[in-house]
Amino acid sequence: MDLGLKGKKAIVVGGARGIGYAVAELFAREGCDVAITARNEDSVKDAVANLKKYGTKIVGSASDVSDGDDFKKWMEGAVEQLDGCDILVPISSAGGGMGSLKYWQKAFDVDVMGPVRAIDAVLEGMIERGSGSIVLIATTSAGEAMGGPQAYNAMKASLVTYGKQLALANGKHGIRVNVVSPGPIEFEGGNWEMLKGAMEKFYNAMIRQQPEGRFGKPEEIARAIGFLASPAASWCNGSHLVVDGGFTQRTHF
Amino acid sequence: MDVKRQQEITRAKPEDRPGGTPIEQAPAAELGDALIPAERYTSPEFMQLEWGQMWKKVWLLGGRSDDMPEPGNYIATEIGKESVLLVRQLDGSVRGFYNVCLHRANRLKPDGIGTVEEEMEFKCRYHHWAYSLNGGLKHIPDLDTFPQGAPPCGRIPEIKVAEWGSFVWFSLDPDAPPLTEYLGIIPEHLDPYHFERMAWTRDVTVEWDCNWKTSVDAFNETYHVQGIHPQLKWYLDDINVQYDCYDRHNRYLIPFAAVSPRVLLPSTIPPLIAGIMEAAGMDPAEYEGPITGIRRAVQEFKREHGLEQGKDYSELNDDQLTDDYHYTIFPNVSMNVHADDLMMFRQRLHPTDPNKMFYDIWMFELVPEGEEWPDRPRHQLFKHGDRTIGEVLDQDAFNLPHVQNGMQSEAFEGLWIGDQEVRIRHFHKTLSDYLYGHNGPGEGDF
Repeated sequence: MDLGLKGKKAIVVGGARGIGYAVAELFAREGCDVAITARNEDSVKDAVANLKKYGTKIVGSASDVSDGDDFKKWMEGAVEQLDGCDILVPISSAGGGMGSLKYWQKAFDVDVMGPVRAIDAVLEGMIERGSGSIVLIATTSAGEAMGGPQAYNAMKASLVTYGKQLALANGKHGIRVNVVSPGPIEFEGGNWEMLKGAMEKFYNAMIRQQPEGRFGKPEEIARAIGFLASPAASWCNGSHLVVDGGFTQRTHF
Repeated sequence: MDVKRQQEITRAKPEDRPGGTPIEQAPAAELGDALIPAERYTSPEFMQLEWGQMWKKVWLLGGRSDDMPEPGNYIATEIGKESVLLVRQLDGSVRGFYNVCLHRANRLKPDGIGTVEEEMEFKCRYHHWAYSLNGGLKHIPDLDTFPQGAPPCGRIPEIKVAEWGSFVWFSLDPDAPPLTEYLGIIPEHLDPYHFERMAWTRDVTVEWDCNWKTSVDAFNETYHVQGIHPQLKWYLDDINVQYDCYDRHNRYLIPFAAVSPRVLLPSTIPPLIAGIMEAAGMDPAEYEGPITGIRRAVQEFKREHGLEQGKDYSELNDDQLTDDYHYTIFPNVSMNVHADDLMMFRQRLHPTDPNKMFYDIWMFELVPEGEEWPDRPRHQLFKHGDRTIGEVLDQDAFNLPHVQNGMQSEAFEGLWIGDQEVRIRHFHKTLSDYLYGHNGPGEGDF
């Protein structure tokens, strides 16, 4: 199946490591020009250097999605450097945390306002061109109990709603908006790798709940995101795809 | 080394805290790379040699000064086949003598802390022979029935006792050098922590199935963190460790509140490091900087807020506000020294079996100025495996019997020691100095 990604211009916010990097790599490999950002400058530099091996245009620099002005400037620069934006995948997250009310502010600033600001920066252009594809990243923790009641789970849940309504409002402009909810994903430098060492019992208890006895890999999520982002998914709009190896229990009727 | 990334660790500078703990790297010791014979850990003959040439010559940790504040308070503590009594005298000094009645050898007191009976005397419960606070023979019931009279020495043999650092120390050697001479660099290095401001939080003795040195070794290197304590890779930097060997004693300085370069940095604050921040009074959720900046941020926070928390860190450098300054006081005291607590282990030989030992866990916490001191915890004694001693120490403890068993193997000649384990080599060099003199072991020696 040809995804039809060749020549597309994609922006991945939070694209330096983990799932975000795997998405950026899939786009680059499929022939997209790609812009990435993340908070850590060194990580972005390393990622840009690695992505260049696929031969497409790769740009990237550090930015902080919770700083509205800084991030807006970055988005404008990315659109300009790519000469447009066909695909947007905003994936930055502040991560989990319970106990302090500050986690709510952080999750709102990064997990919610990050995607909101990124979409705000590209939507007009997509409408003008009459096409565009956006994939938001929620989590299986939005739909099922995970790690206790916390801001991360609730804020990510809001993206499912926002994504659906964006799709409803913008389908007429040829813009598709879909949501992917990954289950736990393990990679080197990721939080599950840390928890495997730092909280071994919790990690093992979680692994036992996975039908295949392992967590997902970033590229397994990236392939789902890549498909929904691509022209091959032309009839997917407003959908919410759970990609978790069969971890969660709810039946989606 | 097997690392995933390079990590720069900020280090305090000697000029930051004049008079504080010296932090300069000690000159590298010439310790060679020879095998350390396994017999040292298993042989009854070697155990005998250690007893005669080392244990009876050195200064040993006996107890805590604040367990014996008043005249008549004592600490009875065992070392090998001996037990000694360390006693607060009427003039406030501490003296000590063997814990044995001159009559029929009964122990005057069981192991532990206590206060003498009325009349400021130790009375043997067997036949009520009585001794003064310094061990002098005071009274023998029915003395007229002993045709040979009272023992002419007139007292239980005395031992040397001295105090330093809020601890009581003793030596079985009547010719031992003064304690401060024996401790060498230790008081200068550790006085800035003010252990006398710290209160007991835990007093546990576990009987372990290994030689006492097997235990000392386990705490003398950080190389085992990646093996035995994988969780600590998200708590401390086991690569950027400074090792210093002095005359008898040695130390390493290990950065805490840092992620090991053996793993990539996670994107969220590791739980154990969040715990360090919370203990300091910080809210990890408020922290906006990179994970590599947390150690410094904790140091700065404690420096700024210490006094208002009733904690005077003025004599400590910034590194000491987060890091583990780990000292081994030869032969058997391992100390994890931190600004807010002290976790120390006293490793005692078994009276008869080289394959067993007693592992004392002594923990203390800084009591904030103006706060009430907590009650002293009761001493607990149990055998290895009967109860948990906490996740990290359990990981050490459950491994050690297997090390000891392996030492008996005909396939195992001796310990193959690397640079990260230089303190083990230094420890054995010091031990050899006691056993064989400065020329080291000769032909046929272990």
